[in-house]
Amino acid sequence: MATERVGVGETQPPNAPPSGGRMDRLAHASMRVPFRLKVAAVWIVIFAILIFIFAAAKFDTEFMRSRADFILGGLQWTIIVALVSIVLALILALIGAFGRLSRNPIAYGVSGFYTSFFRGTPLIVQIFLITFALGPLVQNLGVSKRVQEFFILDPFVAGIIALGLNYGAYMTEIFRAGIQSVSHGQSEAAEALGMSYRQKMRRVVLPQAIRVIIPPTGNDFIAMLKDTALVSFAGVAVAQAEIFRRAELAGTEAFRPLEAFLLAAAAYWALTAVFTFFQARLERRLSTGYVRAGDEPKSKTRVPTPGPAGPIDVTAAEIPIEHAGPAGLPGQGH
Amino acid sequence: MMQRIRIRGLFAMVAVLAMVAAACGGDETDGAGSGGGNAGEGVCATHPADAGDLLAEICSKGTITVSTDPAYPPQSSLNVETGEFEGFDIDVATEIANQLGVDIAWEEPNWNAIIAGNWQGRWDMSVGSMTVTVERAEVLNFSPAYYFTPAAVAVPTDSSVSSVDQLSGTTVAVCAGCTYDHYLSGTLDIPGFDFGVSPIAEPVVKGYDTDSTAIQAVLSGQADAVMSALPTLEKAIDKGREIKVVGEPLFYEPLSVAIDKSSELDPTSLVDEVSAIVEEMHADGTLSELSMKWFGEDLTVSAE
Repeated sequence: MATERVGVGETQPPNAPPSGGRMDRLAHASMRVPFRLKVAAVWIVIFAILIFIFAAAKFDTEFMRSRADFILGGLQWTIIVALVSIVLALILALIGAFGRLSRNPIAYGVSGFYTSFFRGTPLIVQIFLITFALGPLVQNLGVSKRVQEFFILDPFVAGIIALGLNYGAYMTEIFRAGIQSVSHGQSEAAEALGMSYRQKMRRVVLPQAIRVIIPPTGNDFIAMLKDTALVSFAGVAVAQAEIFRRAELAGTEAFRPLEAFLLAAAAYWALTAVFTFFQARLERRLSTGYVRAGDEPKSKTRVPTPGPAGPIDVTAAEIPIEHAGPAGLPGQGH
Repeated sequence: MMQRIRIRGLFAMVAVLAMVAAACGGDETDGAGSGGGNAGEGVCATHPADAGDLLAEICSKGTITVSTDPAYPPQSSLNVETGEFEGFDIDVATEIANQLGVDIAWEEPNWNAIIAGNWQGRWDMSVGSMTVTVERAEVLNFSPAYYFTPAAVAVPTDSSVSSVDQLSGTTVAVCAGCTYDHYLSGTLDIPGFDFGVSPIAEPVVKGYDTDSTAIQAVLSGQADAVMSALPTLEKAIDKGREIKVVGEPLFYEPLSVAIDKSSELDPTSLVDEVSAIVEEMHADGTLSELSMKWFGEDLTVSAE
């Protein structure tokens, strides 16, 4: 008996074989379970497997427990480095983006060189260069002693500058794309109203560009949290050691680098999760006015499409109405 | 409309944070902050203050800055509980500072920056178990050797290897760029020493960032054996790593205190004074004592 499984307004894919009652009942039962719960179940299974592997590997958990405090103490420095670098990067990105969009040959050329060099060389090489090569370079220029000393940078500062420059280059392109994404009609209208370039940018273009810029920028910040680890290669003092450096120190002291780095990895993962959560909230906040109430910005319901034929076509069976989103049917949690 | 004031405020806050961080960045020293502070005693008491050389500057500052890499127990490591550096190198450097009559401050640059010379005055002296090699002697001044490290090979405890010749053609883990790396590749060049041919023929050498990682590599099966300083291997065994030393030490390398040749101020007097201090420490048994404390054996006399 061929059963017709349909979604709303959907017809059975032509190639689907007729299926028995049990598969149907399973599909219907699964329909009632919220999507989020299913995803949670998947995560639980994955974590169970990870814990099993972890236990089987026989890591020295005693060591990990005793060093957890020390390694996590680097958290504040990781965050400080990332925050200061991202501010530097944002400033550079804004300037760089306007340079890339400019018709002035100097601005265009310099910003082009900046993005090319700092995207084209590895971050760790940049950290080394800024920490160790600036000093001798300036020395050979024959400037005064005080200026020379200024350029022998403290490794912590040098690392932040390198991170800022590097990410600024990547974010220049993000900002440029964001600015260009605002339709030209907006710019023309602003000019028609008599706004100067500055006013137009500040009041019309940039506010709209921000919405496009925030997701990749947030992404970059989350990536930067991990790149702060490279700053340790500049020779940062222990007093300012961030998570990775502390893991390295604790691990080498006890000849257990593996356990120490596992702890560091867990710390970075938790940090990333926290910031991802905040970024999602920021995105949602910024998208009011662009997204209709009743839609979810990130659609968790896959609109049933005819997929490859199979005994259970769960996507086809899910009726979108059950997951209408925040402003949807009563009883739906968010 | 963009909430400009709030965002500006955020920027301002983070900018202030940046300045605070940078300010804190420069000032803090760590590890063992002082060396007993006998200002006015020791070498600095007799060295003319107007000599205008590196030693005079150190004496007038009252502090000597020493570089160390706390990734190498028992020579230098960070005691996580006390937050101080500890190790054989740390003690030797502290004693040298005492003899000079100054306090000690620590820097932790990358090892490659130390052996490359041209320190830019960031630190004055390196007491880091550095082997004197011909290339390094071009950019650094060395004191007489303050101890000799035997280099040995270790394998996992359950390995069937019992002598070093059985390791020919196998993979050996070393810390990259260390003397063991050069020794296995046949390029180790120490003035005054002849090492002959390495008993491990045609090894596949794998370099890692520290000895600790190299030992981990052997335990993880990435390499068949690890070559490192004997005290380091013994410390690892002490801390419960399942490796065993194979055979006798392959060579002894002389390790010295290093001072930058290209420093702005003339380093000659500092080199001379430090060399004299090292020889005195040999003569009065200080070095032997420290060696027994950290290595369990006296490595300060050449066993050649």
